[in-house]
Amino acid sequence: MKHFYNIVKKEVAELLTKQLLISLAFMVLFFVSMGKITNDMEEESTRTGTGKGARTRISILNLDSNPYLQNILSIADEQGIQIDFVKSKDVKSAIKEARGQNSNILLVIPEGFSGKVEKMEKVEIEIYSIIKGLSMQEAISSGRVESIIETLNNSITTSFIQKEMPDKKPEDILNPIHTKNFVILKEKTIPESAGVLSALVMSQSTTIPLIIMMVIMYTGMLVMTSMGMEKENKTLETLLTLPVKREYIIAGKMVGSAVVGFLMTIIYMFGFKYYMSPFTSSPEMSTSLKDLGLFITPFGYVLLGVSLFLAIIAALSMCIILGVFAQDTKSAMTMTYPIMLLVFIPFLLSMFKDIETLPLSLKILVYAIPFTYPMLASKSLIFHDYHMVLFGIAYMVVFVVIAMWIAVRLFNTDKVLTAKFSVKWKK
Amino acid sequence: MENAIEVTSLIKSYGKIEALKGISFNVRAGEIFGLIGPNGAGKTTSLRIISTLLQVTSGSVKVFDCDVSKKAPEIRKIISYLPEEAGAYKNLSGKGYLEFIAGFYSDKTMLKKGFEIAQLGDRIKDKVSTYSKGMTRKLLVARALMMSPKLAILDEPTSGLDVINSKGIREIIKDFVKSGTTILLSSHNMLEVEFLCDRIALINNGMIVETGTPQELKIKHNVNNIEEVFLKAIV
Repeated sequence: MKHFYNIVKKEVAELLTKQLLISLAFMVLFFVSMGKITNDMEEESTRTGTGKGARTRISILNLDSNPYLQNILSIADEQGIQIDFVKSKDVKSAIKEARGQNSNILLVIPEGFSGKVEKMEKVEIEIYSIIKGLSMQEAISSGRVESIIETLNNSITTSFIQKEMPDKKPEDILNPIHTKNFVILKEKTIPESAGVLSALVMSQSTTIPLIIMMVIMYTGMLVMTSMGMEKENKTLETLLTLPVKREYIIAGKMVGSAVVGFLMTIIYMFGFKYYMSPFTSSPEMSTSLKDLGLFITPFGYVLLGVSLFLAIIAALSMCIILGVFAQDTKSAMTMTYPIMLLVFIPFLLSMFKDIETLPLSLKILVYAIPFTYPMLASKSLIFHDYHMVLFGIAYMVVFVVIAMWIAVRLFNTDKVLTAKFSVKWKK
Repeated sequence: MENAIEVTSLIKSYGKIEALKGISFNVRAGEIFGLIGPNGAGKTTSLRIISTLLQVTSGSVKVFDCDVSKKAPEIRKIISYLPEEAGAYKNLSGKGYLEFIAGFYSDKTMLKKGFEIAQLGDRIKDKVSTYSKGMTRKLLVARALMMSPKLAILDEPTSGLDVINSKGIREIIKDFVKSGTTILLSSHNMLEVEFLCDRIALINNGMIVETGTPQELKIKHNVNNIEEVFLKAIV
């Protein structure tokens, strides 16, 4: 074991370079800065009345003299819209004034508006969106115009119903059909819509596939780099003539890469989580997932851990095999692409598609990829469905044994020094 | 005298290319044996097979009576191989590199010996990436000899070293033989071969064309130095 630790120590020292640490620090700095910019944007939009939960601010050029409009606008005010009237009587000056009021929207209420509304006649109002740039913030601001009109329409209709039918509730007339959703999950009846439940489960289970993808990508890339560096720096021959078992060399490389890979993933996820925090929000639900029995049990976490561990070992052993064919760091990097592809396929599918709905041939292909199983495991374990997870573990054990056997075989022959990957084109 | 290496009818093929065409030679324990020949003659292939790096296509190679095809792990415990184009781990210091190698052996005194052979002074604490070619070579020679192997296989040991450093390394090699180490080396430097080697084998096109002491070969070809022997026997 002393030899094994010696190799692990060397691998970590070789891979954990100052350059790598600096680039990781920059990456975290980038994510934190981006997160801060997004947060600031959110705060700014809240302040200026364009963001989530903010009071929308609009300017109104009122050419109508009937006080009925005031009633409508008071309802709008209750619904979170801040109204600023402009004193100007023409559109050009009103736009200038709206700008001064820091308003992005100007509504022009035409003369005779109230009269037409009272008679329930169609009426047209002009909307001027004052664009200051083409940023996302502007797009959000402009997008709220539609919701403002909808709110105004509702206000007018509500006001009309209240006036004409004071004994009726406006919402009962506007939406006479009400729904109450239930989801049947195994033996339980849950008073929620399937969409909300699915969104909540998704929000809980997407982080794990992302972590799995990052860990496999980083560790795979590092073990390939390690193999490439051994060949590029001409150190492999010396290493192979030392009195150390080839199995220890392979295991040492894998563990060393995994240690650095995990470290990189933790740092990356820390930065990424900070960056994503303004965007991530779970849908609200009347009952918690735990109360519904939708949670991963301690045994589930053990299975998830085993599944992830096996997936990493599978990736590393595949990378070691490919690394044997690398001539230098550059070619080793190129050889990581097939592994990346094998990681991305189940990752994307687990996010956007139900694998069971794929055609049989594609389904076989996806289930042949060992990384599919830990990606699916998090969702299966929430529903306490252990069959697929256990099958995945058994499959990965077989996969790892075969891959490791090939890797050890390659290291015990002169292929480790002489193997080259080249494509010959016949003339 | 016991043979350190016995090579018998050794053939090594890379696909259709036959790099070694049935070579045979012996290296006696405690001697310095030189394998010399032009580029592509098969020197490095021979050294790599003896070092357990490459597999034998046919024939046999024994190191201190251990067959390289059957007892490679045992052989690795008693040999040390210095490849011609070897490098060291660039992110480690010279000291760290020697410590890493020493970690595979039980002899605790070898590090001190390594530092002495490397003669890098305080630079031994610097990263290998900051070393010149010559400094790296001295570190690698130190790595190859510090564990006092029973057999040291040195491919161009003074490659990249200046005259002064080359002379120093040659003297270290000579001293090592006195302590019982057998040396098999290859070199393009005929002066080095003549100075160091007790016996030499000339290899050309995958075949051994001459074997003997430098003196025997000079007399046989009626020339004054090994360079002329090389030219007469090979060219």
